Amino acid sequence: MNQSLRFLILLLPLIVLTFFAKVLLVNEDIKLPNFESKDFPLFQLNDLNGNPVQSRSLEGIKLINVWASWCITCLVEHPFLTNLSKQNIQIVGLNYKDSDSKANAWLQKHGNPYLFSIFDPRGDLAFDLGVTGAPESYLIINNKVVGHIQGEMNQIKWETIFLPLIQKAQQGS
Amino acid sequence: MSKKFLILFSFLLLSTPSFNQMVYEFNDSLQEKRFYALISEIRCPKCTSGSIASSDAPVSRDLKNKVYELVLAGSTDQEIKKYVSERFGDFSDYRPALEGPNYFLWFGPFVFLGLMLVIFFIKRRV
Repeated sequence: MNQSLRFLILLLPLIVLTFFAKVLLVNEDIKLPNFESKDFPLFQLNDLNGNPVQSRSLEGIKLINVWASWCITCLVEHPFLTNLSKQNIQIVGLNYKDSDSKANAWLQKHGNPYLFSIFDPRGDLAFDLGVTGAPESYLIINNKVVGHIQGEMNQIKWETIFLPLIQKAQQGS
Repeated sequence: MSKKFLILFSFLLLSTPSFNQMVYEFNDSLQEKRFYALISEIRCPKCTSGSIASSDAPVSRDLKNKVYELVLAGSTDQEIKKYVSERFGDFSDYRPALEGPNYFLWFGPFVFLGLMLVIFFIKRRV
């Protein structure tokens, strides 16, 4: 009795430590293992050229990137997105709390990796998506939001979070 | 001379930061109470730890305005929290709902405490 109890007491801190280590050692950048996929929110918005966006245009596999001309980090991830678009990844922009003239000027100046950009000056669609700021990126597969990345998109996040989801979807179909 | 200064200083009155913020008006004091309770229980998604009441981040402002709209529209507290957590995740609620894995969060510490007490007393008796 005494022996086993002593053993148990010794074991207890170990159990607690393992538990906390597991929680704490998760890399903040590469979390979101249990992102719950949800339907893409309904919206009625134009693109940056003033044409209404059809929900049809979001079918298939799309990377939705939240950006704005005032957003500094968007400029940091811009080369990477340009690179992705050259690899035939379909990127749709979500222009967030911006003015269309400034946004279009920004695209003109830095290049446009987007198929088109949804113009969301009040951030309504962004709110429904759960956007907390720019930049953020969402992976949409067949009108379902299956992944979410906050902050700058880069090679590591792309390869560890979005790419596996895309590969899984392609194998499934 | 003093008149000039008076005019100049009167401009200061116009520059109060409160002009920047939305003033929330309610139909009754219950709505107001609920609003302020809710915004102190919804976590700012952009901050390390802080409620949307304590934050002036753009997304917190949007959230406050949305909560305000929903309170006026007659949604219950639970509906409002669900509305927010559907968009910003369970993380957004400072008082996690009593369901699923959250049971561990709510009762884990007590289970732990109980366990320690049991061990403590058994040890004393031995």
